[in-house]
Amino acid sequence: MTARGRITDPLRAGGITLTVIAVLAVLGIWRTPYDPTAFAVRLRLAAPTLAHPFGTDEFGRDVLSRVLAGAHLSLAIGFGAMLVSLLLGVPLGLLAAFDRGWLGAAIMRAADLAISLPPILLGLLILAVTPPSLGKTILAVGLVYVPIMVRLARAVALGLLEEDFVQAARARGEGAVSILVREILPNAWPPIIVECGLRVTFAILLGASLSFLGLGPQPPSSEWGLMIAESRQFLDQAPWLALAPGLCLCALLVAVNATGEGLRARLDPSHG
Amino acid sequence: MAEAGRSVEGGSVEGGSVEGLSVEGLSVGFAGVRGRVQALDGVDFAVPPGGTLGLVGESGSGKSTALLALLGLLGRAEVAARRMAFGGADLLTTAPALRGRQISAVFQDPASALNPALTVGLQVAEPLLVHARLPRAEAWAEAAALLAETGLPRPAALMECYPHQLSGGMKQRVAIAMALAGRPELLLLDEPTTALDVTVEAGILDLLDGLRARRGLSLLLVSHNLGIVDRLCDRVTVLYAGRVMETGPVREVLGRPRHPYSRGLLAALPRIGRRDGLAPIPGALPDMTRPDPGCNFRPRCPFAASACALPQALAPAGLDRTVRCHRAGELAHHRWPAPPPTPAAPPAGATLMATEGLARRFATMQAVDQVSLAVRRGEVLGLVGESGCGKTTLGRLMLRLAASDSGTLRFDGAMVPPAPSLAFRRRAQIVFQNPDTALNPRHTVATILRRPLDRFGLAGGNAADEIARLLALVRLPASYAGRYPHQLSGGEKQRVGIARALASRPDFIVCDEAVSALDASVQAAVLNLLAELRARLGLAMLFISHDIAVIAHLADRVAVMYGGQIMEEGPVASVLAPPHHPYTAALLSAVPEVGGRRARHVLPGDAGAVHGGRGCRFALRCPQRIGPLCTDADPPWRDAGPGHRIRCHIPIAPDRRVPR
Repeated sequence: MTARGRITDPLRAGGITLTVIAVLAVLGIWRTPYDPTAFAVRLRLAAPTLAHPFGTDEFGRDVLSRVLAGAHLSLAIGFGAMLVSLLLGVPLGLLAAFDRGWLGAAIMRAADLAISLPPILLGLLILAVTPPSLGKTILAVGLVYVPIMVRLARAVALGLLEEDFVQAARARGEGAVSILVREILPNAWPPIIVECGLRVTFAILLGASLSFLGLGPQPPSSEWGLMIAESRQFLDQAPWLALAPGLCLCALLVAVNATGEGLRARLDPSHG
Repeated sequence: MAEAGRSVEGGSVEGGSVEGLSVEGLSVGFAGVRGRVQALDGVDFAVPPGGTLGLVGESGSGKSTALLALLGLLGRAEVAARRMAFGGADLLTTAPALRGRQISAVFQDPASALNPALTVGLQVAEPLLVHARLPRAEAWAEAAALLAETGLPRPAALMECYPHQLSGGMKQRVAIAMALAGRPELLLLDEPTTALDVTVEAGILDLLDGLRARRGLSLLLVSHNLGIVDRLCDRVTVLYAGRVMETGPVREVLGRPRHPYSRGLLAALPRIGRRDGLAPIPGALPDMTRPDPGCNFRPRCPFAASACALPQALAPAGLDRTVRCHRAGELAHHRWPAPPPTPAAPPAGATLMATEGLARRFATMQAVDQVSLAVRRGEVLGLVGESGCGKTTLGRLMLRLAASDSGTLRFDGAMVPPAPSLAFRRRAQIVFQNPDTALNPRHTVATILRRPLDRFGLAGGNAADEIARLLALVRLPASYAGRYPHQLSGGEKQRVGIARALASRPDFIVCDEAVSALDASVQAAVLNLLAELRARLGLAMLFISHDIAVIAHLADRVAVMYGGQIMEEGPVASVLAPPHHPYTAALLSAVPEVGGRRARHVLPGDAGAVHGGRGCRFALRCPQRIGPLCTDADPPWRDAGPGHRIRCHIPIAPDRRVPR
């Protein structure tokens, strides 16, 4: 019996959690319990209470409201960057696996070069020349992860290209695109989906680091990574400042990875 | 023979009673996806000290499970037995303490049994250091002695080698030496030669037979190959879907099988010198999550009767034999039903595919060396040789799936360029060895069969009809179109692979070890199918196989390949009976045949050796080398009759007969 229909099914559990987070994030753009930017000097660094379940920050702003108001930014960075790396990295990786000549070598050497630079430096390089914006942060973070996707897609495809069903396609005289799209891609999804789940969470954290350096979303924005970065100086007095966005990020991470794992299993015809 | 090893070391013989391995009522259950799988269901077998027992059956019969149960390596499976004892020790509780010591095992794949990062010497000496607690120098000397005992040359030098430097046969000998290091009384062998060439296999079997005689070892051999069981074992136990069907002396059981399943297994075996249709066992293994209380072979049995639904007991059937079939006695004189006769193949026509001086080099190895071969329309050319001889590469070169360095390819009179036309692709297709990797696991059968139809513009108005026709052609139900490969058995997958190759209505097919990965009963069915398709469709085939019996069964002509070159080529009957070329003779004599008692030529060395490029490729391993001529000069082609040529320095004399 499969786990389908039960709450233990990772796709179902992850999907529900993701949907809840997404709905709250969209609602948070317009409505939050308090004004996320309203100062309340007397409530500075207040511990969690019923009125402020996640406490307040150094300006007395309600942390819950801030987490809700910033959620859409974090989701946009996480999923946007993942999509950028996926859409650029996978085709390049497949191509690099298929072409054993100069093109494949060129793609891989470029990927090696990009991977050898620290991600922050690479992000800086992209963002430093022009004023920061959300779209550019997404693009920059996404580009940082392209080489990782390239290498993964290539490694998976290299193994699959040895399989006999690919030889059968060659025996039909099929071209590179047809073999990659019809024969390789359907089999390459599982590890790529799992990697995508990881990339979403890493992207949010890298986005936060860029914010910290002044190259991502800027205060008073309440993007989660930025909130965690800002809470650093109050960690001993008000740990809830880091805890609230941290827990949300953690829930998102678990939900994304569970969904990825569930999708991987569901897409496998030999499963269930 | 068995009496030779009655003296058992280790003091496990009590009061004069001889205790070897004794298993009674062994049952193993696994938690599977679809419920509890009853892998073994009350299995009994015994190996006396110095005795050899073969456990045979198709894949899924539970042979390997039984072996792992003896080693206590079944993890979380439920293992229960009335008795599972070795030398008086209860294996249900003490197996972990005995394995690697009194009981050792050798597994199928020697490449994965050895650690690639450690030297051979370290791996053989390790059990001596750990289990026997020998001092290092002593362990080292003992390890070298063990390597020498397994017939490996220059053991001292070998100790320093890493596994990748050894051939498959040498690795298996190292694995045997490792198993011997614990001074076992019982050696468990799980398909120990299945991954090896027949010529190498013959040497390993001789080694095991020698070890048994010298050391008084008991052997438990798990194999699907009845021929090697016949060669090595005293007794055999036939397993089917977790139950013992028949037990008895090997000569008796394989010579005069009593249980319908054993009879079916033997009827499905291709044998050299017989060309009549093989009798496959219809159907597939039963659902092992719901064991049949009656005879579980009943659904596949041509002799099934209503009383077969009752539980069957293992009953004595003659001297020292037991059979689990209530009809065994009355069926003794009934023959296993013969298969429908294969339609006669039309006579071969004009040359369809011809290679001229085809060559391909990989790094230091000349994989294919100046091969000129021709396949005529409607003809099956068998290509036989050991692994590494270049036969697969030659097949790929003929389809232009691999690029040739030199030489030409002609198809239907026209030159085939390195990048062939779509028309050539349509007319020349391929069937692969491994049914598990030949089909894209993410595509349904319909998608798999539809691709060539679309590609070559053959779908016409109705692709679904064409797919149904193809499925009918390979004798699969039309409903299979919606299935994924994992929902098919190995034989069914292979049929889909054949249907895919036939979809473009080709004239020529390369079958690359197309039946090698299949169980005997399934192999027989696929061989029959290929013979029938070839006759009905007038297909020409290059049938590549390491199994000379399969080639002898299906092919019209045979080409024997060694070191990238063709050694001999001609009509099957003329090449094989009797063999002329020393290599053909060696290949043929190494085949373990049930009931075969012919002299064996064990070849020294292995087929993968790099050749200098001068002289006969086979000279260094040839038992009939006539002198420096063989290693210095390329042998000439000699005419040995109509359409039969031999590449050998030894002149063809009418009295030259290799003893069989």
